[in-house]
Amino acid sequence: MEAQVTRDAIAAPSVPPGSLRDVILALLLIVAALCVALAGWAGWFVARDRAVILNQLWGGAVIEGVVIVQGIVAIVQGATGAGADDPLLFWGYYATTLVILPIAAAWAFAERTRWSSVVLLVASLTVAFLEWRMWQIWMGV
Amino acid sequence: MAGQATGRRAGRGFGRVLVTVYGILAFAALGRSSYELAVKFDEAPVAYALSTLAAVVYVVATFALAIGTPAWRVTAWITVSIEAVGVLTVGALSLADEHAFGESTVWSGFGQGYGYVPLVLPFVGLWWLWRTSRSTSEERTA
Repeated sequence: MEAQVTRDAIAAPSVPPGSLRDVILALLLIVAALCVALAGWAGWFVARDRAVILNQLWGGAVIEGVVIVQGIVAIVQGATGAGADDPLLFWGYYATTLVILPIAAAWAFAERTRWSSVVLLVASLTVAFLEWRMWQIWMGV
Repeated sequence: MAGQATGRRAGRGFGRVLVTVYGILAFAALGRSSYELAVKFDEAPVAYALSTLAAVVYVVATFALAIGTPAWRVTAWITVSIEAVGVLTVGALSLADEHAFGESTVWSGFGQGYGYVPLVLPFVGLWWLWRTSRSTSEERTA
C-alpha cells in the first residue's frame, strides 16, 4: 500500500484508481519492452545483413496482442468514468499504435534485403515511443 | 546485380525505409491535423490549415514514393519539394516570430516537435529520387 501511495502522489490528480493504474502501467511497460526487444532483434539482423524473418513477424503479433489488451482496458476504464482526460487524443494515438506494426511488417516482409530489418527497427521504436506518449495522455501527465 | 540491392524503383531497398518513415510522419501529421480541425480549429486557423496541408502532402508523398511509376515519381518530386520549401519557410518564419501562425505546426521550428525529421526527410527524399532516376536511365542505356 505504501508504494502505491507514493506513486499516486507523483501522478496528476485525475488518475484512475490504483489497481487499474498499475495494470495500465504494466501493459505499457510490457509493450515498450517487447518493442525494444524486437528493435534489438531487427538491429542485429541489420548488422548481419539479413532480411526480416517470419519469427520476427510473430514477435510483432505478440506485441499487437498486448496492444489489443490495452484497448480493452482503456474501454473498461472509460466505462467506469475514469478514462483519459482527452479521449479523442488518446484513441488517435491508440489507433496509430495499433496499425503501425502490421503495415510496417507487411511492407518490410515484401523486401528481401537488410533494408526490411531497418524498416522493422524503425517501426518497433516508433511503437515504443507512442507507448510513452500514450502514458502521458492516459495519466494526464 | 548491385542495381538490384539499391533498387530501380523508388520504393525498393533503402526506399523501403524512406517510405516507412514518410508513412509514420504522414500518420502523425494526419492524426494531429484531424484532431486540431475537429477540436480547436477556431483557435488558430492558419496554423491548423497549414498542419492539414502538411499532412496531405506527406500522405501523397508516401504513396508516390511507394508506388514509384513514372507519373507517381513526378508527384513524388513535387510533393517532396513542397515539403522542403514548406519546412524551411515555416521554420524560418516561426523562428523570426514565435507566434507567426498563432500556434505551432508540424513545420514550426524546422520540425523540432518531431525530432527534426520533417527537416531532414525531404532532402533525403530528393536525394533518393535523384539517385534512383539516375540508375534507371543507366539501365536503359545499358
